[in-house]
Amino acid sequence: MSRLAEEFLIAAAQKSADLTHRATIKRNVDSYDTAVAKGKLRFADWEAARTYAARVKGEAVSNLAPLLEEFERKIVARGGHVYWAETADDARQYICDVARKNNVKTVVKSKSMVTEEIHLLPALEKLGIKVWETDLGELIVQLRNEPPYHIVTPAMHLTREQIRDLFQQKLPDDMNGESHQELVAAARRFLRRAFFAAEMGISGANFLVADAGMVAISTNEGNGRLTTSLPRVHVVVTGIEKVIPRLEDLGVLWPVLATSGTGQPITTYSTLIGGPRAEGEVDGPEEFHVVLLDNGRTEVLADEEQQELLRCIRCGACLNKCPVYRSVGGHAFNTTYPGPIGSALTPIVNGMKDWGHLSYACSLCTACDSVCPVKIKLSGHLLENRRKYVSEGDAKTSEKVGFSVFRWATAGPRRFALLGWFGRKITRAALAIGMSPHALGPLASWTKYRAMPDVPKDSFRALWEKNDGNF
Amino acid sequence: MATSNAGRERILARIRKARGHEASAAGAAEAIFPLIPDPMQRFLAECEANLTRVHRAVSNVQSAAILSQIVSELPAGAIYVEDDPVLRRLCVSIEERKILLSSEGRAPEDCVATLTLCDGLVAQTGSILTSSRHGGRGGSIVAPTHIVYATTDQLLPDVTSALRLAARDTERASYIGLISGSSRTADIEKILVQGAHGPVRVDIILEQR
Ligand code: SF4
Repeated sequence: MSRLAEEFLIAAAQKSADLTHRATIKRNVDSYDTAVAKGKLRFADWEAARTYAARVKGEAVSNLAPLLEEFERKIVARGGHVYWAETADDARQYICDVARKNNVKTVVKSKSMVTEEIHLLPALEKLGIKVWETDLGELIVQLRNEPPYHIVTPAMHLTREQIRDLFQQKLPDDMNGESHQELVAAARRFLRRAFFAAEMGISGANFLVADAGMVAISTNEGNGRLTTSLPRVHVVVTGIEKVIPRLEDLGVLWPVLATSGTGQPITTYSTLIGGPRAEGEVDGPEEFHVVLLDNGRTEVLADEEQQELLRCIRCGACLNKCPVYRSVGGHAFNTTYPGPIGSALTPIVNGMKDWGHLSYACSLCTACDSVCPVKIKLSGHLLENRRKYVSEGDAKTSEKVGFSVFRWATAGPRRFALLGWFGRKITRAALAIGMSPHALGPLASWTKYRAMPDVPKDSFRALWEKNDGNF
Repeated sequence: MATSNAGRERILARIRKARGHEASAAGAAEAIFPLIPDPMQRFLAECEANLTRVHRAVSNVQSAAILSQIVSELPAGAIYVEDDPVLRRLCVSIEERKILLSSEGRAPEDCVATLTLCDGLVAQTGSILTSSRHGGRGGSIVAPTHIVYATTDQLLPDVTSALRLAARDTERASYIGLISGSSRTADIEKILVQGAHGPVRVDIILEQR
């Protein structure tokens, strides 16, 4: 087992036993579920909306090259710069160069998972640049020195009391009470100074619209608007898969993203930005850069089976629905993107050997498949990853042998009966001589938290016949 | 600064090598949302849900009176106004306030309200369609109160029609946006709080046309 797999198991076991964590997540997810159920009623046909969204994103994934070129052409025509970054390192380097050339001392950043993916903050801070997260949830986790817990709600795991204590310690001058409103007001006061002082704003993108040549950004707080309006330089960092063909597609994608993300009809600020301040405009940045990141995405694209993962619009719905995510929390995964989508993508992008274990952090309940607004068959991808993980040789020998026996036995009723008979015999004998169930191979993890039931003498089939099908 | 780099060709080559699935263009969006039989009624209902205040007026004079009323509820401080003849006329009603026009520069950090026009109103979501031509990017986000002057003939049925209208503007404006209510967050325990970073209050003066 890889070190990362072991760490995952330990973190997962700890988190799932943490009752406060469970209660916090349950409260959050319950209110999310209610909002989403209500939000879906605004559609005449939610399934048609999913089909439409899946088709638009599918069309884009199949036509990435011409769409990205069209997008680039339009941005450059408005005086913006487009940089194609092959790796995280490339992207970091470019953004650091832009910051250095502009003599940047403070950066305000709106929420972007891609900046997490490329570890941008430490790189900028190494240059002596102060970076402030401006999304409230992101600011909270930044002040706690930890990564976001969820791709849409970064501080989902914290209670108001924990946030109050944090602000009291870190933002004492801006604190003026401890209600939800007053905590938000404290962050507002604190960040306002940052917005007006910053020389550079960094944002992600929800969509890149090819025919309009504009970047679409959705936020509720307006932090994205301030980040992209006030500083002299604006840098957008985003994955190449974010491109969509037409502006009009947002007529469906915006409501679908908002409904799946938070249950809202549309995000408060649904914004399109096409470049630096244009002639005749009173404000806006003087420099505008878009960094288009590959970082393993073309590898996903090269896999015909799995390329549909690039349709993901990062709505977070699959995380909220996933029973594993809800028990072990976002941090146990130790990945930029946790939950089903992260478990599907990370092993492909970062290596099966180190990350393949995440494909097993799934009960195959398929709840994620049923909520994904772009109809990605997440459970299928997790299974596919398991197959690769085993065939690429990192599974335990005992597991391989076990499953070959199982496969052999389930191929015919007689074999199955024989294996059952043999299994019952061995287990009964082992327990009879006082062996602990914890020592019994696959039973070990099952009996860790549960009592071992008595092993019956007879098979299910024998009991069925004896009782004439009546139990 | 480079707009084309070595990585560009390599990334594009890798993309071209991958075999995309033949994806048909998305079908019609018509069946996805219910029909909106009465756009004005829907717009008003959505604004109420968004916590946007809509003030109906039947004339310029009434609009000016409404503006004066809204402004009287605000704390002392300057009001930033999009420089437009219609808005200048409206502002006569708030002569006692300090007015800063967009032609004089960007919205200052400490203005208490901004007053702008918009490109359209969206019934489906109670949104305001705006762009950087209306008081710049800051005109709709910097101050704690954003007042929009609009006319009923600007009402559009849905987001798709707003995007069709916006498409005509993409060459001229560096920013286009749909604003659906006041700035808000639910990042702390999913409890909704208004006024995270942008306006706490959005008022639309909607004049009959
Ligand atoms: S995989 Fe689907 S449900 Fe999960 S975040 Fe992406 S779009 Fe949302």
